[in-house]
Parts: sequence; C-alpha cells; structure tokens
Amino acid sequence: MMSLKRVTILLSFCIFSIYALLILSLFYFFSGESLLSILLSERTLYSIKLSLFAATAATIFSLIFAIPAAYGLSRYQFFGKEMIDTILELPMIVSPVALGAMVLIFFNNPVGLFLQKKGVQFVFTVYGVLLAQFITTVGIAVRLIKAVMDSIPVRYEEAARTLGASPLQSFFTVTLPLSKNGIIAASILTWAKALGEFGATITIAGSMAMKTETIPIAIFMRLSTADIEGTVILVLILVFLGLGTLYTVRVLSGRRGIYMG
Amino acid sequence: MPIIELKGVEKHVLKDINLTVRDREIFCLVGPNGSGKTTLLNIIAGLTDYKGDVLLDGVNVNPLPPHKRGVGYLLQDLALFPHLTVAQNIAYGLKVRRYPEEVIKRRVNELMDALHITKLKDLYPDKLSGGEKQRVAIARALAPFQRILLLDEPTSSLDAQAAKYVRTEIRSLLKSMEITAIFVMHDLFAAEEVADRIGILYNGKIEQVSDPKDIIFHPESERVSEFVGMPNILSCDETTVLATGLIQLKTGNMTIVLPYEGTNVKKIAIPPQDIYISRTKPPGPTLNRYTGTIIGIVPVGSVVRIKLNVEGNTLVTELSREAFNEMDLSVGQRVYVIIKLRRIQYKE
Repeated sequence: MMSLKRVTILLSFCIFSIYALLILSLFYFFSGESLLSILLSERTLYSIKLSLFAATAATIFSLIFAIPAAYGLSRYQFFGKEMIDTILELPMIVSPVALGAMVLIFFNNPVGLFLQKKGVQFVFTVYGVLLAQFITTVGIAVRLIKAVMDSIPVRYEEAARTLGASPLQSFFTVTLPLSKNGIIAASILTWAKALGEFGATITIAGSMAMKTETIPIAIFMRLSTADIEGTVILVLILVFLGLGTLYTVRVLSGRRGIYMG
Repeated sequence: MPIIELKGVEKHVLKDINLTVRDREIFCLVGPNGSGKTTLLNIIAGLTDYKGDVLLDGVNVNPLPPHKRGVGYLLQDLALFPHLTVAQNIAYGLKVRRYPEEVIKRRVNELMDALHITKLKDLYPDKLSGGEKQRVAIARALAPFQRILLLDEPTSSLDAQAAKYVRTEIRSLLKSMEITAIFVMHDLFAAEEVADRIGILYNGKIEQVSDPKDIIFHPESERVSEFVGMPNILSCDETTVLATGLIQLKTGNMTIVLPYEGTNVKKIAIPPQDIYISRTKPPGPTLNRYTGTIIGIVPVGSVVRIKLNVEGNTLVTELSREAFNEMDLSVGQRVYVIIKLRRIQYKE
C-alpha cells in the first residue's frame, strides 16, 4: 500500500502532467516562421502591452479597494457585513460573460448613461477593459486578503495600541507587514486572473484590434477564423507571459525573504 | 493621590467594581480563572467597552482610546511582534510616539541592559525561549515612559524557580522606575512576593483588598478564606531562636522548628497540602512529626478534607480521592502527621 506521502506527491505530478501535456500539444501546430511574424506584428505587440498594462492596473485598483475592505470585514462587526461577505462571491458564482452583461446593461440604464456622458466612457474603450478586469478580480482579492487578516491575531494590534499606536499606525506598522505574504500571494492570483480575463472584457469593451484587443480576445478572434497556427502562438505568448511573471515574482519574493515563518 | 480609580465598573462577569490603586503602588489582583481579572485590565487599558468610570491621575479616561490613555500593558500571551527584532520590538512604542532617534536608542539600550537581553537585540521572537520573550515583553511595555503598567499573569509560562526570579526582578524595576502597576495573578503566594496590596477578585466581585499578610491571616469572607485555602492558622505562644535563621515555635502542645530570620512570630499559616498523614510510622528524624486523631472527613470536589486533632491543635489536610480510598481512613483513627515547610506563611 502506498504511503500518504507518495499518493499526495503522485497526485500533484498528475495535475502538473495534465497542464504540461496541454502546453506541449500546442507544438503539434507550432510554426517557427509564423512565430516571428505574429509576435512582432504591431497588432500582437499592442495586445501584449494592453494585457500587461490592464492586468497590472486592475490589480493595483483591486488592492487599493481590497486591502482596507478586507481589514474592515476581518476586524469590525457592522450592519450588512454578512451581505457584503456574500456578494464578494458574485464574480465566482456568475460567469464572466454574465458579469460583463450586467455591466453593459447598467451602462444602458439612465444612471449608467449619465455616468458615461459626464464621466468616463467605458463601453468599447480601454477603460472598459480595466473595468471588466477590476470587477472580476476585486471580490476575489478581498476574499483572499480577508483570509490572511483573519489569521493574524488581534492581540498584536491591541499590544500596538497600548504602546501608543493609533489605529492607523497599528494597521501600517503591524497588520500590513504581517499580512505581506498573503497580500503578495493575493496580488499574484489577482494579476493572473486579470491577465486571462476574457468573458467580461469582450462583453464590455468589445474586440477591436489595436484598441480593446487583449491577448485572450486575440486568441478567440484567431480561433474563430480557424487560424490554428496563430492561435497556438498567441496561447504560447500568454502562457509565457503569465507563468513567467508569476514564477519570477515567486522566486524574487522568496529570495528577499518576503515569505516568513 | 490615587492614580487608578475604578467607579462602578461593569462588564460581563464584573459587577460594580470600585477600586483605588495608589501612586507608585504594586497592586496584585488575584482570583481563580474566569473571575474577570483580564477583563478588568482590558477595561483600564481601554481595549474593551464597559459601564462605569475609569479615572487615571484623577482624569476620567472613558472617552479616550487605548493609545491616548498612557497605560502600558503586558499581555498574557506577550504578543511580541514576529516581524520585528528584539530591539525593534522594544523601540516600537517610542517610534510610534515619535521620540527622537537618540532618545529611542538610549532607552532601548538601557532597558536591554537592565533586563539582561542585550545579546538578543538582533533576534526575532521565534528564536527566543519563554523566559527571554517574557523579558523582551517587559522591556517593550516599560519603554514608552508610561507611569501605569498592567501585567497579566506575566510569569505564567515560566517554571516555578524562573518565575520567582523574574517576579523579583519586575518588582525592583517597577519600584526603581516609580511605576504604578496592577499585576494579575492566580497564585496568591506568588502575588505576595511582589504586591504592596492584594485584591481578591472572585466571580466578578472584589471580595477583599488588603496587605498580603492580612489576606492570609484575616480573610474577610468565606469565599476569600476558601480561595486562600489556609485553614491552618496557628497562634504562637512562644518563639525561641535556635540559631541564626532557625526558630522554634510553641503552639498549644506542638513544637515546630522553622527556618525564619525574625525573632517574634505571632501566627503561622500552613496550607493543607503541606500537611501529610500516614498510618504507619514514617522513617527518618522526628522533627516536625506528630501523632494525631482524625476528627472529621469531608469530601470537597476531587479532594477529601481531613480534620485532625494534633496535640491540642486542629489541623486540616487534603488528600486526593484515590489516595483517601487507598489509605482506608476513618474518624477516630490515630495517624502520623508530618508538616512540610514549603509554603508556611508567618506573621510577626
């Protein structure tokens, strides 16, 4: 009979094999000639730049909202807390397309129309890409960061308060540094989710080349025209960008001793 | 002038607490688990809401948050910041209060020196032993020049000998820094080593506040007497100094030899756990050994209390139920009695 250690390691390799097999199978349709022409095309370069920019910006916006909100939900009791806690799951319950449709419908009601007229135009613009990614990631970011803050004993903050720290000082000097690992992990996942976001983005921002076409949208466009070689190359670019960035962040974080304990 | 005053304070188990702690006094709050000791400290520190009034230095601090009360607090679980080194932990309170760098450095070095932890300054808390953590937490609580310090069972995680040593150290530090302190403890005898006065908190009510000796020798209520657990209080008719540090007391027809520096003991108190009984004659010297008669047997919870008549004095001892059943004791039986000298209390 296999030991628990062997079973668990074997299963983790199984999962790795499934993904590795999928990536390797791309090379069946891989063409070296197409690689350079597609990679260096203005359209692809724009998609890469837009994807990286939008995922990074959406992650930053999500964290700006998620960190304080997660702290509030973790530390205080207030009316409506359960309701907020439940609605955070919305991006996971409804599909991204449905979420995008909800945003589109909102911008077509009088309030939405007024906001677009007087404020920022979201529908079929780059701002729409940012909004789509922000909406699909912020709830998850709050959920992840709240779990981290729940695990930090309140006693540290109480100790800080009796030593003379204001609530804000204790948050910045105790809670935030102690949540650092979790926040980095949450940022990585948020960024990865934003980079691969497709359904809400195409619904809100459309699929306009050189305007709102992120890599996932470009992949969909190539596939819909049966351009398999082009699809393979764009998928590889997305895989390389996504996994490469995540791996680099993990390695750098580890080296700098961000992960404690 | 009283520096800490509680007027009609209530919260959870605590009912109408009125208490005054004097300037530069070390006040020990003693009581069993669940009596509300930690809640009371949290109230003074402002970490929890409450009914009633808390006055510090004559000022009602009810509206003030913890960081504006000027009350240091050594938490029971210490709560040393795991992301900061020992020196950074101690400096924390001074940094958030924006003291100049040179003052912070001087104060941190001074405290590390006083608590013998200078060599630990660059270590993180997870690399420290229980005793070392305790010292760092004390230094951290003392660092921000606060005149009031609350200590919640500060030596509970240490072994008996280390705890005794740390308690003595804390007392001399508090006295030298002229700090008013409230210690929370559950062991009365440990409290007696550090306290100027002791308050007994029982089931959310302060039962008695008095000098340490008075708690033991003059309990004001049955609850205090029960908590103190000192039914064996013997009046001494005669004290004879046998040698320096060794005296012989006569109480009734009993003669007890004890190590003691004084010359005139009026009363002694012996915990029931320090009185041993045996059906057979114990081997060894006959010092502080007697014969007595069992005059009462009362089961109390997991123990059995046995009342003895020993040479004209009534003494109470305690046995676990298992030991009692094994010994097969009954009223009227003659037994050998041995008095151990571990925790005897004296009153001059």
